[in-house]
Amino acid sequence: MAEDGAPGEQDTAAEDGALREAVAAEHAAVWGYGVVGAALPPADRGAAVEAENAHRDVRDRLGALLDERDLDPVAAEAAYELPFPVLSPVDAAALAAVLEAGVSAAWVAVLDDAVQGPTRALAVRELGAAEVRAVRWRAAAGQTPATTPFPGLPAD
Amino acid sequence: MTAMTPPPASRLPGLSRRTLLAGFVGTAGLALLATGCTSEDGDGGPALSPAQADQLAAQVAVQEAVVAAYAAAAAADPALGGQLTPQAEQASAQLEGLRAAAPGATSSASAAPAGPPPGSDVRGWLREQVGAAAGAHEAACADQVAARAALLGSVAAGLRGQEAVLA
Repeated sequence: MAEDGAPGEQDTAAEDGALREAVAAEHAAVWGYGVVGAALPPADRGAAVEAENAHRDVRDRLGALLDERDLDPVAAEAAYELPFPVLSPVDAAALAAVLEAGVSAAWVAVLDDAVQGPTRALAVRELGAAEVRAVRWRAAAGQTPATTPFPGLPAD
Repeated sequence: MTAMTPPPASRLPGLSRRTLLAGFVGTAGLALLATGCTSEDGDGGPALSPAQADQLAAQVAVQEAVVAAYAAAAAADPALGGQLTPQAEQASAQLEGLRAAAPGATSSASAAPAGPPPGSDVRGWLREQVGAAAGAHEAACADQVAARAALLGSVAAGLRGQEAVLA
């Protein structure tokens, strides 16, 4: 199939663009988890630190992938607009859930645009990891149900 | 850290990512998938190959088994079933989404698992069923393209979240 043949025979422009968006989302998540951690009591910051590190790792691996493709790096913004004030641990958990939702949307977009199987495998793995983290943060924020049927896809 | 720098701040992604998949989860959007081609740009909505169609039908059966597993778990442990009503409903919604994307997929009652063994850990059994289905969807996702890959990946991730709740 033309859309799924050997790598190198395909037009990867859309896939590359979606991967760049994923890098941008991962940048935002890394930044946002700094806010999350700051709003949590020190004893509860472990999950935030773990998530921040996970997003940093993915961002760096994506950056390396873009570099292999001779694509320009995607820089982080100096700051991001928070969707709501983060003044409490519950706010922090809710923000973390938003961060994971943003990353999930980016990975779903990668799935939509990917022309290479390994790219889809990467995307689906990271999408699942983001949703697992999101479930825990939604639960911590008191959101029910904590699960969602279609992570990353726009709600109807 | 909480003080924002006003002018250069960018919106956190996620609230309004792109419109490409808008309506995808809605009934109308899913119905469009059944046609196998939803795009006007040629490459965006490739037609479903016979192999891909077979695979999608297989994933419908996988998801039917998940729905059946929730029912079997609820029958074996009604209290647990009550706790997991939202997840069971979400599994059904996922099944509807997959059915809409899989032309020709028919309901296969044989896909239903036998149910948790008597006296077993019902929650653990259900978690195994959900996790196995997520893995199957993930593997299938890598072989599909465009919106169908996005749907399978999203459903797989949703099941990973359910698996976490069941831990």
